[in-house]
Amino acid sequence: MAEVAPVLDTERSAAAARDASPSGAGGGGGSGGFMSWLKAPERRGPLLVAPAIIVLFVMNIFPLLWSFGLSFFNYRANRVKEPDFVGFRNFERVLTDEDVWERFQTTALIVGSSVLLQLIVGFLLALLFARQFPMRRILMMLVLTPMMLSFVSVGVFFKLYYEPTFGLVSWVVNLFSDTPFALLATPEGALAGIILADAWMWSPFVMLLVLAGLVSVPKYLYEAAEIDRASSWRRFRTITFPYIKSLLLLAVLFRTIETFKIFDIIYIITEGGPGTATESIAVNVYRVAFQNFRTSQSAALGYIILFIVIVLTNLYLYSVNRRQQEAI
Amino acid sequence: MAIRRDVGKAGWGQSAFALAVGIVYFFPVLWIILTAFKTRPDALATPPKLFFTPTLDNFRAVFFRQSSTGGEGQATDFALYFFNSIFVAGTAVLLAVIIGTLAAYAFSRHPLRGNDTYLFIILTTRMMPPIIVIIPIFLMFRVTGLAGGYWGILLLYTAFNIPFSIWLVKSFFDELNPEIEDAARMDGATDWRVFFGVCIPQVVAGLAATFVFGLILTWNEFLFALLLTGVETRTVPVAMARTLGGNVGADYGLLAAIVTLFLIPIFFVTFLLQNQLLRGVTFGTVKK
Amino acid sequence: MSIELRAATKRYGALTAVNAIDLDVADGQVLCLLGPSGCGKTTTLRMIAGLEGADDGTVSIGGRVVNELSARERNVAMSFQFYALYPSLTVAENLAYPLHAEGLSSARIRERVGEVSQVLQLDGILARRPGQLAEGEKQRVAVGRSIVRDPTCFLFDEPLSRLDVQLREKMRGEIKEVLQGLSRPTVIVTHDQLEALTMADRIAVMRDGRIEQVDTPHEVFANPANLFVAGFIGTPQMNLLEAVYDRALDGGRGRFTLEGGQTLSIEIGAGIDSLPAGATVTLGIRPRNLKIVAEAGEDCLSFSIDLIEPMGAETLAHLSEGAGVRLVTDWRHPLAEGERVHVCFPPGVTHVFLEEKLMTARHRMPVDEEHAA
Repeated sequence: MAEVAPVLDTERSAAAARDASPSGAGGGGGSGGFMSWLKAPERRGPLLVAPAIIVLFVMNIFPLLWSFGLSFFNYRANRVKEPDFVGFRNFERVLTDEDVWERFQTTALIVGSSVLLQLIVGFLLALLFARQFPMRRILMMLVLTPMMLSFVSVGVFFKLYYEPTFGLVSWVVNLFSDTPFALLATPEGALAGIILADAWMWSPFVMLLVLAGLVSVPKYLYEAAEIDRASSWRRFRTITFPYIKSLLLLAVLFRTIETFKIFDIIYIITEGGPGTATESIAVNVYRVAFQNFRTSQSAALGYIILFIVIVLTNLYLYSVNRRQQEAI
Repeated sequence: MAIRRDVGKAGWGQSAFALAVGIVYFFPVLWIILTAFKTRPDALATPPKLFFTPTLDNFRAVFFRQSSTGGEGQATDFALYFFNSIFVAGTAVLLAVIIGTLAAYAFSRHPLRGNDTYLFIILTTRMMPPIIVIIPIFLMFRVTGLAGGYWGILLLYTAFNIPFSIWLVKSFFDELNPEIEDAARMDGATDWRVFFGVCIPQVVAGLAATFVFGLILTWNEFLFALLLTGVETRTVPVAMARTLGGNVGADYGLLAAIVTLFLIPIFFVTFLLQNQLLRGVTFGTVKK
Repeated sequence: MSIELRAATKRYGALTAVNAIDLDVADGQVLCLLGPSGCGKTTTLRMIAGLEGADDGTVSIGGRVVNELSARERNVAMSFQFYALYPSLTVAENLAYPLHAEGLSSARIRERVGEVSQVLQLDGILARRPGQLAEGEKQRVAVGRSIVRDPTCFLFDEPLSRLDVQLREKMRGEIKEVLQGLSRPTVIVTHDQLEALTMADRIAVMRDGRIEQVDTPHEVFANPANLFVAGFIGTPQMNLLEAVYDRALDGGRGRFTLEGGQTLSIEIGAGIDSLPAGATVTLGIRPRNLKIVAEAGEDCLSFSIDLIEPMGAETLAHLSEGAGVRLVTDWRHPLAEGERVHVCFPPGVTHVFLEEKLMTARHRMPVDEEHAA
């Protein structure tokens, strides 16, 4: 054993030698002992992860815990008064608040419509780009650009496009009707405007995923289908779809989780209006926390949202794992 | 002579159709680019102008303290905001990639008990709505005096990017062939040398991709920047949103110029990173 | 219903993968396209199937030129090298797949699938998916999917290449049985000569896009048309010795001088008359045909044994002074490395190749007129 060790892992054997020496590590008892404990191979994993954990803890976990604690008090950020412990009252209030349920509904509507639209458009785009053709790469880059823009950029310019007097959308509509078209003036219109902007931005994402699936179908399967004289529909249903099924699911889950957070675009385009028609749950929390300063209450709501996100993320990771195992 | 085409390829017909679709889809972006070259009256003209005499004033206005043509004086400080964005995002993402790479290596090569749980929690911190964390963060910053300065937002953005970096870089490490590392160990290399000499060189491209993706995400971040940056540390997205709210109305030409300026590196990057694109936008969970 | 290729050509840019080949496969006949990788055999098969279009020449099936028809319209059955089984369907559904295009009733489809399943012993695995099958089972399903229909011809691309040696032996026999029951032309692509020799009625040996020889397995083995075929067919490889032809002797014999000065007088046969004196030729003789004799003679060469490789029932001896001459003998024959032996070239088994072409055809086996080359 003694002869083999030095060749294989110099660090390990050095550490072992240090540990074995009677007086403890070189350099004296205390600090030397700690250093060698720190450098031991078993510590390596945790040591490497430590910086990340520390930063995440300070910036994410700790605030979350604080926020959790806050939600049990009636703290308001703009008052000097000492907060009282109110137990679950905030949670109760939030869960029975009609406004909150309305916001959830609005959010669900936006998420559902946008993701559905993304699915359809993304899928069609993927079909378009599935085969090789001249200029494919450049055209695909053009189509991918919306995804790379910031929400703010998209928000700012779609607001311009929706402008009743000089916006593009209004101008197109005016080709067919006489009255100036103010998309953002009505609740339905405003919702449509937001959904359109979001779906436009992220359909390329779905396209990427579906394309990955389409491209992974082995060519010889299509050849076999051709030999077997399968109809296009049959071919799609039995060969293509199974390959993209799992990716479609991933795309839906991922976009749902992300769209659930929607804030920037709404804030810029409609600020939640008209009235509160387009106020998503995130915008609502923002308003309640920073405009109404009902800090604790918004913390409670935040936690309910967190719970939903955890469930969804779990689902997402489960699907990711399933897909990796299946690997057709 | 064969006229029959081989299964799987399409020709110029498909190109033409794709071109049409591509242009329609890209049109909103195209309009932004056009607007960047318009004078103020042109930008807000009814009906919208497709043809106009271009001007570079907007681009100039982005960097120098002057108003863009045609409008009332609206001094811009965008040079400062640009610097802020670059500095804050760049430093934060760099830190995050470094920290994240170390952690990713550990998760990949020294799996702990409950590895998957840790990774799940880490992913959740990335996926949760920022709204939840914003309140205590805001309070924390107020208490510690970090609000409005660089360090606060920088630290926050680093934390913001760590989960994404870990997942992405871990996916790169997972793809490496462990036999190479074993061979290096047989040759007597210490674990550090294996890490720096064998593993890192193989994933350098992946690290670069991670850095770039993180940069794009962080650069565009709005909510935290809105609440936590001050006048001196304001980043570009916040500045853009603010120009909207002025009483002279938005200077769309100027805004368009900013967006267009960003489009160039984004095109460049999309082209360079196309192999990693799928991995990047799904935070490393989907490789192909 | 026969297959005919006339001057069929396929190019990929500057590369000509298939170079103006002529091929005929009659009804019920099994033709093997045999050759090293890159010789164009798979491309030729795909041209027949319609998966590749011919750049020049014609492809005809059943007397009808099919160049313009797509694979679907040609109604061919093909079994792919990677099986190409539909991963999301069960074995039964895979087998039934081609039948949907024929407008059969589901009852009739089930019947057909049942028949094929019995023939190929797939009854136990009908409900499984390809991902759950062993290689041999996958291979049988792939074959099954071909024979379940009534196509114009059967095409097989490297049907056994993915199986291990034992499975291959077993499947060779099974497939041969199945093939004998088919009444349509069948083309098999393979790089394994043993497969070709056992399964084919005729073999087309290909190299670099051209057909070197089309003949029955026996003829390809016994009378290889040129050096390439001679070296390709037969394991261990035929010994090829450079020699200079001195002159003819009586009795159909000729005298040759080999490198190193040794001379050889052996019976060649009718081809001896067309050999110009002094020509450089290649003598070909299979390792199993060489005999070790006790004494030297005109028809013998002498070598020393460099290396002995026991092969079980036989022993392979590498001989020196012959630039890689090898000999195979029965395992009971005692040999020692370093030993000097006299190796005899028995009459009637040596081939002479002049400028790569065979000069001395052996007596041909009687064959059916209709299958004559």
